[in-house]
Amino acid sequence: MSALPFSEIHATQIEAARREHPAIFPTVSRWATMWSLWAVLVLYTAGSLWYFEVWRFATASDRVWRLVSSMFIWKDMGTWRYFDIYSAIAQTLAMAFLGTMLASVAALFIGFFAARNTMPISPVRHLVRRILDVLRGVDQLVWGLVFVRAVGLGPLAGVLAIFVSDTGTLSKLYSEAIENIDRKQVEGVRATGAGPIKVVRYGYLPQVLPIFISQSLYFFESSTRSATILGLVGAGGIGMIIIERFRANLFDQVTFVVVNVLVCIFVIDWFSKKIRQRFIGERAH
Amino acid sequence: MTDATLATRSGESDAVTTFEQHRAELIRSRRAMNLLFIALFAAATVASIYVSRFYPDRLASGLPRIFEYFGTIMPNLELDKLFVGRGDDGRAVAGSIVYWYSDFWVYVRLIFETILMALTATILGAAAAFLLCFPASRNLAPNTIVYWISRRFMEICRGVPEILYALILVFAVGIGPLAGVVAIAIHTAGALGKLFSEVNENASMRPVEGIRGVGGTWFEEMRYGVVPQVMPNFASYTLLRFEINVRASSIVGFVGAGGIGQELNRVISLYSDDRVVAVLLLVVILVTMIDLFSERLRTHFIGKENFR
Repeated sequence: MSALPFSEIHATQIEAARREHPAIFPTVSRWATMWSLWAVLVLYTAGSLWYFEVWRFATASDRVWRLVSSMFIWKDMGTWRYFDIYSAIAQTLAMAFLGTMLASVAALFIGFFAARNTMPISPVRHLVRRILDVLRGVDQLVWGLVFVRAVGLGPLAGVLAIFVSDTGTLSKLYSEAIENIDRKQVEGVRATGAGPIKVVRYGYLPQVLPIFISQSLYFFESSTRSATILGLVGAGGIGMIIIERFRANLFDQVTFVVVNVLVCIFVIDWFSKKIRQRFIGERAH
Repeated sequence: MTDATLATRSGESDAVTTFEQHRAELIRSRRAMNLLFIALFAAATVASIYVSRFYPDRLASGLPRIFEYFGTIMPNLELDKLFVGRGDDGRAVAGSIVYWYSDFWVYVRLIFETILMALTATILGAAAAFLLCFPASRNLAPNTIVYWISRRFMEICRGVPEILYALILVFAVGIGPLAGVVAIAIHTAGALGKLFSEVNENASMRPVEGIRGVGGTWFEEMRYGVVPQVMPNFASYTLLRFEINVRASSIVGFVGAGGIGQELNRVISLYSDDRVVAVLLLVVILVTMIDLFSERLRTHFIGKENFR
């Protein structure tokens, strides 16, 4: 059968094909389910947008216009206090670094308590895992808000928020890495009469350390992203500069800061990718 | 040091000394590398401690306050009054669950709103991503300019955190869930568009060439050549995104963009009592339930083999 252009195919040929191969044409009931699914989807979306008062966009046009024009027309660039902006960006990076580092150290211990092969007492293991679930289940920004309330405005709250939520996730990943190791090396070390500390040091750590390091690097990267918005709730870093200047209606400076942050994050992504490739190799992912 | 040089040496002791020498060299170069790394790491640590003012005395004065705060937000439930309902005068007894969750129906309404926000934002974002992903795939884009523009557009959409979009939109359209929905939808369009276009780039080009062979236009090539191949993956990515969006819609309220986050922000900033834990607990339950439900749905409809 030679391929015909669409325009030369007649209705009778389609009918013939339909008789010969009924399975490839949709039946009425399938056709009806398909279209009713689409109809439900569209109706739901329209209904929920109505519920969310979508008509507000109609009356917002001059506010939006004012906002957009002041975001992209940069005025009085001499008075923007660049030192504050760049030191806040440095503070964001420092928060992400310290938070991830402390979380990695904590996860190094907690991971062994949450792994099946290193923690044979199952109630302890389950308790540790449930606590980690709660640490992970609450968003980093919520932790930020809670710690701001507890220790006051500033980067300390941010470091603690990153530390707590990263501990939850990293401990889980670490414990999974520990569960997936090769048992033989551990048994070999144990057979020489080594104590539990030495078994961990020479049996487990050499196998899991590359994975730990690569995951921590990856989390440093993702923490720099999330640390930029921690400041929106007052937990230090560049987010505080953004919200402060946004509240003061300095939208051009907000745009400038956001562009700077995006460039920084891009550079860190690139750098961390290179480090991972160079020292850990693609294997560990 | 190769095997050949080892073999030419005569006698056992020579081989051993060469081995030892080689080993010493390796250890020395490794040690130098490690020292360099430790030094760099220590420098980074000191610098970040200095920049973020994470001094031990600040930490020491902060830690007791953290425990104190967590003590104040815990509910004080009393075992004997735990299930006591409201009295005849409509007042709940202190120490009972009813007293702890006195605003329960407000929270339920807000959680419902949060789920609706996430669902609508996912649908809108996925629809936008679906339209964007075909011109943004290297193998399907009609020309380079369209490809470049759609790629950059998606990068802008997903590069900026959704809460920043929410902040700007709250200024534009006012406080309420609409700003949150649109903010999450924008971010979703960028993130899903990238994933979708990666799926497209791995799709087989043969059906596309077949459609082109019978004279189909670009739209027909996409509709009949690509869409049937990629639809299952699109669906699973969209479901996965829905989970992420539930988390996002529970926090965009911090800047006034609706959902349970608005109540959470109000409760944490204005009161330090057991209401904080009451709302937090509901948020954790919501996120966990959605995760479990969406995992069930994915494995039921799509099957595990589509996840790599």
